[in-house]
Amino acid sequence: MNKLLRTTVALAALALAMPALADDAKPLAGQSITVLLPSGQSPNIASDFEKETGIKVDLQMLSWDDIRPKLITGLIAGTPPADVTEFDWSWTGQFGAAGWYEDLTPLIDAESIKDMPTASIFTVDGKLLGVPYANDFRILIANKDHLAKAGITKMPTTIDELIADAKLIKEKGIAEYPLGVPLSPSEGTSTLWYLMTFAFGGDLFDKDWKPLFTSPDSGGYKALQFYVDMLKAGLIDPASTGLKDSDVHQMFMDGKVTFDLGVGPGWVGAFEDKTKSKIAGSTTLGLVPTESGKTVSYGLPEALGIPAASEKKEAALAFVKWMTSKDEQIKLAAEQGLLATRTSAFEELNKQGKILDGDVVIEQAGTVGPLFKQGTPTWYPQFSSAVNNAINQAAKGEISVADAMKSIADETAKAQQQ
Amino acid sequence: MSLSAVLPARRSREKGIDGTADALLGLLLAAPIVIAMVALVLFPVASTLWDSLHRVNPMQAGTPFIGLQHYQDLLKDPIVNEAWRNTFIYVVICVVLETAGGIGAALLINQAGRWRRFVLAAVILPWALPGVVNAVVWQWIYNPAFGLLNGLLVAAGLDFEKYVWFNDRTVALFAVSLVHVWRMLPLTAVIVLAALQSIPADLYEAARIDGASRPKMFTNITLPLIRGGVAIAMTQSTVAAFNFFDEAWILTGSSRGTRPILVQVYLEAFQNLHFSYGMALSVLVMFASLAVSLVYVLRVQRVTRLD
Repeated sequence: MNKLLRTTVALAALALAMPALADDAKPLAGQSITVLLPSGQSPNIASDFEKETGIKVDLQMLSWDDIRPKLITGLIAGTPPADVTEFDWSWTGQFGAAGWYEDLTPLIDAESIKDMPTASIFTVDGKLLGVPYANDFRILIANKDHLAKAGITKMPTTIDELIADAKLIKEKGIAEYPLGVPLSPSEGTSTLWYLMTFAFGGDLFDKDWKPLFTSPDSGGYKALQFYVDMLKAGLIDPASTGLKDSDVHQMFMDGKVTFDLGVGPGWVGAFEDKTKSKIAGSTTLGLVPTESGKTVSYGLPEALGIPAASEKKEAALAFVKWMTSKDEQIKLAAEQGLLATRTSAFEELNKQGKILDGDVVIEQAGTVGPLFKQGTPTWYPQFSSAVNNAINQAAKGEISVADAMKSIADETAKAQQQ
Repeated sequence: MSLSAVLPARRSREKGIDGTADALLGLLLAAPIVIAMVALVLFPVASTLWDSLHRVNPMQAGTPFIGLQHYQDLLKDPIVNEAWRNTFIYVVICVVLETAGGIGAALLINQAGRWRRFVLAAVILPWALPGVVNAVVWQWIYNPAFGLLNGLLVAAGLDFEKYVWFNDRTVALFAVSLVHVWRMLPLTAVIVLAALQSIPADLYEAARIDGASRPKMFTNITLPLIRGGVAIAMTQSTVAAFNFFDEAWILTGSSRGTRPILVQVYLEAFQNLHFSYGMALSVLVMFASLAVSLVYVLRVQRVTRLD
């Protein structure tokens, strides 16, 4: 009887302890946070995270262009726009100087940071302001059906080869405008010009932030001259002056352009999705062609940041750690085609054969460097705006290439003084 | 003072004839709108004016008083001056087209007889659309490859195959203005229509008996009597054209050749984070808009007095 009593008491004690054990495993269960991310995120993010941690997530999604104004209006007023937000590489300088985001350096383990090479892009004065969750770097993507029809057997590695291939495709009537280039006054126009500047062997600034693109033999000058020449040759659509990079990607998915120049491997998922793309199954990747033949690229990653004004930092941090974990990165790559920011996750995905032309992607990833060696400056948005407006005007024939380069340099100097 | 003198006074006070009670009631009734105006208009305007005299930039510590520095810089800023130039072009195109088109549309609707309400409902439709929706619709119309406009022009035998409307600055300014005119013209038409309907029919009858022709009746009766309505319509057209944003932003983004001044304000504040610089520019926009509108307002006042 005593034995039975003791067993019953022991079982009852265990039963009572179970919820406590569960609470220990999910110490933040019951809390709720808001997360603001660009549209197109996996619908399972909130439920998966809640299942694992017990923290409820109100996942808000906005188009990428609408996120920044929403963040700024909230942050300037001292009201957190969300507990976890999108944090683009291009905002690092401004948001770092404004002190709007929590320093995550002591909160993320060194091993993780080491596993995410692009974390350095989000570091200002030794403070980690965002943990990268979506990798992005420039690579060349082409329609292999177009190439095959034109009898092209290998991807171009030099600018001259790219032009020759585009001419051949146009002559054979496969694509009216084979080169997909955004030329509207938008960020995508700037980011492609940066890449083309590197591709022509140039750089944007020296170590003292002096422009390196005003001379006719500079990379930036040659890159814009390349656009103007390609427009004149009919290899770039004149209507590109109204196209953003996302419009060019859509044209690629519609089979209207052969080469998408301003794109990252993260878009492959959409290009190969039969419900979105008319050319699914025809995507092929190549290294960024350059004047010399030695490929280059640079990173444009996106991170998750926690506004300093957030009142639920612990739960927010749990979300950031969860979404940037190796397992979740692998899962997100499968679900929404996000390019993993962790080297370990990237290698694992390639081992599993889940990355299209994985060897090319890995080779290109090895050439990725930061856009600005000194870190993203606070005046970056003005510089980018000056770049895409000058390119747009030159593409329309309103100003010459030389005037466009001078205009960028003048506005940069003004922005640096402010 | 005699009792007879005091009693009527007390009685009249009780009834509010002396104005005290009426004045109190008036103040009470006006209080909500006064409070709303102070809180939502006057205070933000005063606050913006004050902040524009400081350096408010979240990337720099403190908000030091800098006086009129921003205003001096704005006058020398070539990009701001270009945006001003674009805005004045928009104002001229929009006000002229909306006024002429609005009067024409109002005259036609006025003649529509029993179909008037249906025609009016159809004409008002673009005004009911949000600016962004209107701009997106026109973005498709202007599309070089499959837009309706190029399609119609090509069908008419003209060489507009894949014509890019926004690649020429002059054409782009006009094309963008047209989208704004399309949305705002109905409002002018409605205001002028209301003025037209207030003209007594006897005047036209008398003119007809005197042998006046239709153009004579229009210039000597209609136009003078709708002057007040036209002036009000022109005031709203001017203010709306100064506040031009949605259509230009959707159709041509931040393109410098078509960038209106409010887009410049937005870029200064939300792109460059130079809040007080943007505030100073918005103060200038307010004064410019008020100055031009004042011409019409004074005209309305004079016309109203004559009436």
